[in-house]
Amino acid sequence: MGLVARLVRKCRARSPWILLFDTGACNACDIEVAACLTPRYDVERFGTLLRGSPRHADILVVTGPVTRQSRDRIIRIYEQMPEPKYVVAAGTCATSGGVYWGCYNTYPGLDSVIPVHAYVSGCPVKPEAVLMALSILLEKIEKVEV
Amino acid sequence: MIWKILEALIFPGAVFILTVSLFYEWIDRKLYARLQNRVGPHLAGPFGLFQPAADFIKLLSKEDIIPAAADRFLFTLTPILAPTLILLGCMFLPVAGLNGIVSFNGDLIVIIALMSFCTITIYLAGEGSNNRFASIGATRAALQLIGYEIPLTLALLCAAISTGSLSLRGIVEAQMANGTWLIAGPQLIGFAIFVVASQAEMERIPFDIPEAEQEIVAGWSVEYTGRRLGLFRLTKDLELFLLSGLGATLFLGGPLGPLIPGLEPLLHTIYFLAKSILVLIVFTLVRTVFARLRIDQMISFSWKYLMPLAIFLVIITEVIA
Repeated sequence: MGLVARLVRKCRARSPWILLFDTGACNACDIEVAACLTPRYDVERFGTLLRGSPRHADILVVTGPVTRQSRDRIIRIYEQMPEPKYVVAAGTCATSGGVYWGCYNTYPGLDSVIPVHAYVSGCPVKPEAVLMALSILLEKIEKVEV
Repeated sequence: MIWKILEALIFPGAVFILTVSLFYEWIDRKLYARLQNRVGPHLAGPFGLFQPAADFIKLLSKEDIIPAAADRFLFTLTPILAPTLILLGCMFLPVAGLNGIVSFNGDLIVIIALMSFCTITIYLAGEGSNNRFASIGATRAALQLIGYEIPLTLALLCAAISTGSLSLRGIVEAQMANGTWLIAGPQLIGFAIFVVASQAEMERIPFDIPEAEQEIVAGWSVEYTGRRLGLFRLTKDLELFLLSGLGATLFLGGPLGPLIPGLEPLLHTIYFLAKSILVLIVFTLVRTVFARLRIDQMISFSWKYLMPLAIFLVIITEVIA
């Protein structure tokens, strides 16, 4: 790896801007993910900023089961994000469908719709678990091609 | 000749200004986080010092998307134009001496004009991306300009009236001859107006209405990705440097201070940076304390209170001077 490539990779791992997307969650995971931004957990330590626009974001954090209604929207949002982009499935519903598994109107997990790079289990997720997933993902971004 | 070019490019020119403005963004973010009882960026370099640089390099390396509906010409032009205008404005600041890199009689007017041009560029950037959120944000940016521009100009001109000079050098020299800084006196009101109007100029809380995240996603910058967004963020950092530097020059005596013969440029630079960081801290405190206003509240505030106050200040200054 050249010097510039290493620098770029380091910078990517130091400045992950996240975008929250709720595919139809019960709001519990959203509150817990939002808690990462509060003084107690302070995700800005990693350089993370919460962005409103998918065009600005690097990491898409998805909560909730993927419903038929939100499937097209989440694909569109994913495609609006610039490369390189990463996806975190936060919560049991996003990773596998959770209690909605096998429902007529949901998909079995986020990875059946878009590629996922990190899964966080929990119903709802713990903020510590989200931080753990983020730090593992950042390590992967810095060390290996995701 | 060669020295002049090196001066414009390295110190106190482009390289110096860019480095310092990234450093100012770090101060702003770190102080903002500490005031909210958070840690703030601290993994990128010592105390997170390289965080703005890491953000910038990351944005440069990202995919560059031009939406099919966007105006290609404006979408390409405005991200280059905006930082250029502000960088040009920074060249007038007297950093390493009483003169800026460029200095002539009337450069204060040029700085005011460049800042207005930058806002108009932002308006074009928003309208050029042909997105409904960007359109709303751009319109708000232009509307906000109507609100804050006249009080800002009057506040800066009051400093010019009370010193009898329209150049930054003249204003600094008058403060040197007087022995006191302009802020000690009626210009304290001018400084207050300047701080309020600067927050609007830089689109920071409480006047971050054009990019209000909770209402209109990211405002005028919603469609910009990668290096274009990076250049717009750089514009914001440069504006931070320009306005805190301008506040320090006009109201706090700029590069003035006790000097040791032989070390003048170094000491001037240290005094200038220390004073502008003081102004920056005031900006950050304002950003932390307040919440966002609505656009109609902002406009009526600036025409009902800020504007009469500025005119009142002009009268006082005229009577005293």
